[in-house]
Amino acid sequence: MKLLKPTWVNHNGKPIFSVDIHPDGTKFATGGQGQDSGKVVIWNMSPVLQEDDEKDENIPKMLCQMDNHLGTDVDCTPGRVIRQKTQPTHRTILGQTAACVNCVRWSNSGLYLASGGDDKLIMVWKRATYIGPSTVFGSSGKLANVEQWRCVSILRSHSGDVMDVAWSPHDAWLASCSVDNTVVIWNAVKFPEILATLRGHSGLVKGLTWDPVGKYIASQADDRSLKVWRTLDWQLETSITKPFDECGGTTHVLRLSWSPDGHYLVSAHAMNNSGPTAQIIEREGWKTNMDFVGHRKAVTVVKFNPKIFKKKQKNGSSAKPSCPYCCCAVGSKDRSLSVWLTCLKRPLVVIHELFDKSIMDISWTLNGLGILVCSMDGSVAFLDFSQDELGDPLSEEEKSRIHQSTYGKSLAIMTETQLSTAVIENPEMLKYQRRQQQQQLGQKGASARESSSATSVAVNGESLEDIRKNLLKKQVETRTADGRRRITPLCIAQLDTGDFSTAFFNSIPLSGSLAGTMLSSHSSPQLLPLESSSPSSFGISKPSTEQTVAVGSKPVGEAVGKDSVTATSTPTASSPSVLTTPSKIEPMKAFDSRFTERSKATSGTPVLTSVPPTVTERLKEQNLVKEGRSRDLQESSSDSDEKVPVTKPSSLSKRRLELEAETVEKKKKGRPRKDSRLMPMSLSVQSPASLTAEKDASCLSAPALALKLPIPGAQRAFTLQVSSDPSMYIEVENEVTAVGGVKLSRLKCNREGKAWETVLTSRILTAAGSCDVVCVACEKRTLSVFSTCGRRLLPPILLPSPISTLHCTGTYVMALTAAATLSVWDIHRQVVVVKEESLHSILAGSDMTVSQILLTQHGIPVMNLSDGKAYCFNPSLSTWNLISDKQDSLAQCADFRSSLPSQDAMLCSGPLAIIQGRTSNSGRQAARLFSMPHVVQQETTLAYLENQVAAALSLQSSHEYRHWLLIYARYLVNEGFEYRLREICKDLLGPVHYSTGSQWESTVVGLRKRELLRELLPVIGQNLRFQRLFTECQEQLDILRDK
Amino acid sequence: MAKVSVLNVAVLENPSPFHSPFRFEISFECNEALEDDLEWKIIYVGSAESEEFDQVLDSVLVGPVPAGRHMFVFQADAPNPSLIPETDAVGVTVVLITCTYHGQEFIRVGYYVNNEYPSPELRENPPQKPDFSQLQRNILASNPRVTRFHINWDNSADDQLEAMDSQDLSLSGGLPFSCTPLKGLGLPGCIPSLLPENSMDCI
Repeated sequence: MKLLKPTWVNHNGKPIFSVDIHPDGTKFATGGQGQDSGKVVIWNMSPVLQEDDEKDENIPKMLCQMDNHLGTDVDCTPGRVIRQKTQPTHRTILGQTAACVNCVRWSNSGLYLASGGDDKLIMVWKRATYIGPSTVFGSSGKLANVEQWRCVSILRSHSGDVMDVAWSPHDAWLASCSVDNTVVIWNAVKFPEILATLRGHSGLVKGLTWDPVGKYIASQADDRSLKVWRTLDWQLETSITKPFDECGGTTHVLRLSWSPDGHYLVSAHAMNNSGPTAQIIEREGWKTNMDFVGHRKAVTVVKFNPKIFKKKQKNGSSAKPSCPYCCCAVGSKDRSLSVWLTCLKRPLVVIHELFDKSIMDISWTLNGLGILVCSMDGSVAFLDFSQDELGDPLSEEEKSRIHQSTYGKSLAIMTETQLSTAVIENPEMLKYQRRQQQQQLGQKGASARESSSATSVAVNGESLEDIRKNLLKKQVETRTADGRRRITPLCIAQLDTGDFSTAFFNSIPLSGSLAGTMLSSHSSPQLLPLESSSPSSFGISKPSTEQTVAVGSKPVGEAVGKDSVTATSTPTASSPSVLTTPSKIEPMKAFDSRFTERSKATSGTPVLTSVPPTVTERLKEQNLVKEGRSRDLQESSSDSDEKVPVTKPSSLSKRRLELEAETVEKKKKGRPRKDSRLMPMSLSVQSPASLTAEKDASCLSAPALALKLPIPGAQRAFTLQVSSDPSMYIEVENEVTAVGGVKLSRLKCNREGKAWETVLTSRILTAAGSCDVVCVACEKRTLSVFSTCGRRLLPPILLPSPISTLHCTGTYVMALTAAATLSVWDIHRQVVVVKEESLHSILAGSDMTVSQILLTQHGIPVMNLSDGKAYCFNPSLSTWNLISDKQDSLAQCADFRSSLPSQDAMLCSGPLAIIQGRTSNSGRQAARLFSMPHVVQQETTLAYLENQVAAALSLQSSHEYRHWLLIYARYLVNEGFEYRLREICKDLLGPVHYSTGSQWESTVVGLRKRELLRELLPVIGQNLRFQRLFTECQEQLDILRDK
Repeated sequence: MAKVSVLNVAVLENPSPFHSPFRFEISFECNEALEDDLEWKIIYVGSAESEEFDQVLDSVLVGPVPAGRHMFVFQADAPNPSLIPETDAVGVTVVLITCTYHGQEFIRVGYYVNNEYPSPELRENPPQKPDFSQLQRNILASNPRVTRFHINWDNSADDQLEAMDSQDLSLSGGLPFSCTPLKGLGLPGCIPSLLPENSMDCI
């Protein structure tokens, strides 16, 4: 065994709380304290493994550092993380505890790194692949980030410091534990979804470990208990307290570990006969008969080797297979480390005084031969074993064979990623699955093609060097309204965090002088696989750079610690040597403050006369403009409430207001009538208060009513276009003097060149038409209806009060009277659909007005009100139904994007879409803004989708009903809501056997229910969890078809 | 977490005669699309003795800034020699590049600048009155001194803080360090946004 303390792995002397080696063995992460925040650093492994690499300056040691974990006092509002603003000195003066990253863990795939810290957050990091190395500008080249890791998810739920995080086998789940006494299980496939919050501990939870087969998760807490939870239902399996009864005092962490064969769970700090131990808990019956004894102080961390070993086969000896065994490392507060093999009664090795302070974390390399140990003292040690010492590691196949023989095939984990292992029970299901896979492949291919073409486009142009040469000439410079220069920066790369954006730019280190070295190092292959590190390379490592100690032969004395301390302090002492000529140092001190303090110039004092307006003035100007605008909008601005005279009102809200104002205006102007069947009409219907006197006068015999809608004034002549395709328009000419001085009104209709005309005795106030009927309302409260050829279909209808709005769709005629009553007739069938229904109930508010009226193809009237609500009248129930609300928080919170069929299919036209407009993206944004718990989002989304389905149904808009039903079903499938899905299927399927008592209708809004169900089947088939439901429906549909 | 981080500032055309314009190629990265423009300034420190001799050489707005990496060249005219004290004309001074968002400065990049006569004769016997046409400006490009400040990036979020900032600007004089504690922001008794983030990221 060899021991090495790489002194360059440090957090500038600050404690390192956690260490984890990347699954591919090329790098490792440390977490601990930073300057004024928690810090995560990713290090290159090869300089640890090989001395040559350590000496080679071109091989970077640090790959990336992230100090995004914030202080203890964090504003947790997402999107706006205000960091606690303190100088390090303040922190120490005030005696605050420094923020800290308590745990870093790589996912098993190695794609993600999760870190948990005192800021109550778990951050999930992913490597941004396209961005090459970059320096932290202004810092020395050594601090460069060779790799870019970006935070892709921030998981918020804990109300206290996060102490430990753990990825489940296969990366299906991520567990985190906290001093808030809870363990949270996150859906690692769908962050930030929380699958369960495990409550039961009554003390700070300080360690977590997953069962290697995924059936259990164990947690250890300060409440002197170790709890095992089932992953099946996230309930408590057992709570073990006996070995911990004596435990006093607290350790910072209690990192327990499960053996790779699953047989044993080993706890951190336990007590046996008042001696500190690591308790061994057997999976069988959770027996606690054995423990690891010997440490003088509490055990802080236990870590099993990921490999299972078997005895090294000696060449001469008989091939008698020995029992496989596991290997476990135990670290303690007594600063020593012990390594045990489960086949031995004594530890394989004990290393005393490895550190100056408590051991905090241990990580094994994936090959099982090396371990990294970190300590509160801020240093890290690496131990390298040989196979002779540990034994022959079993291969992964052998390991899984052990798992299978011990636990059977039924691994508890069943997630989306794991569904491939589920048995498909139905050939139809198999077909669907296959088809789906093919489609996905096709899509992937297409997107790959797209991205490759994008790359060629971007790279075709110029190299970065060319861009840089011509940047000044090429960059777009404009002048703002107040005469200031405005430069549009050249976008040289997009961020590739999250799930979007193809990397289309191969980044080259930009910095001229600083990153020059980085460029060369980046191009050289610096990351060597772990396997290539033969033990011999360790023999060469010399004490000049680090301590190489053969354990056992030499006691690791204090010298190690001291050396490491001095070595650690050197990098921090790098002093700035700025200018070459020493004579010029004198004035430079005088400048020091200028670099760090904001000067007058930045705060906006004009120094030169030629200087363009400074910030203050600009701000003032902006404010003036904005105030002006806000007055125009009659906005009840809070400006006056502000204490400070020169405040800048939030421009965001202003913009929103302006936007709203614009949209309102647009509506007033009316929409272009493209759809001949659905013609939303725009009205300026007003409440009595705003009605003009003359209009009142013109009202003929209007009964005294609370609500009065405006009446169109009689015009001499007007023309109305009914539709453009087929081209059809109505011309009205009032008071055409005919024979004998009788004044008549003439109605002309022109349809695709064919015209007809007729005369009426009263002045025509308003007219409307559709492809089937033309109707006009006259001054004498009469309504006349004509066929498309000009034949009168009905004797004049006498309206109860003067007409306000007339509308036609298909064979339906809608009349809204001044007394705010609404009638709809079906002219073709000569029946009343809506009979003098009052708008009182929906116009109850004080200043409400009708902003838009719509009559659907099925004769359902829809009123859009000025407050953003829209109601439709349901003739069968005789009720006004709220179908849309602009202020509806459900619509803003719902996120069902994943359930949308595809981008283009999102655009579903119909009355509902016309009324609601496009509010598609808001849900996701809302989720970001408010960081809703997933459960809440689910509920709001469900509620919203159900509203949509119901609204489409009451509008009798079959197309939209189908659209929303499919989205709803897809959402239910994705989120796994079986009951509701089953109910839908049941309703669509109806009774399989005919019975007279059945109330079941075979159609819904003109759609055959069973046809709909057929459409739903592939959706249901997407989730294997619902394969039973799929099969049921499929079979019954087949039976029905055969009948 | 700052929304904008400066990746690099390259000093172009250095060294150059005193009267030639300053040119900096600035690349920066933005995590999240910015609602408003960034404002960049070049400030020439005329004298170490007093801020009075600071000259804002130029200020530009940069925008729109979507998420991603961007670069631009910031060019500004040379300082006005008549505003530089004669005793400070030759020797070392400082040029600062600052960037503000919503009037709040979040980064300051400082370079030492050495103005000297290139010809040995003039260096030996400098003229009584500095001859700016003969001076050469050398920016010590390899040693930028970067100071980052915490600011409130979100416009709509904390009006109070913002109000405070605009007030600071309008005062244009001494900064009010003794202010009332701010709600919801750590440490009472000091304005957090005025404290440097990592007091110095320097070499």
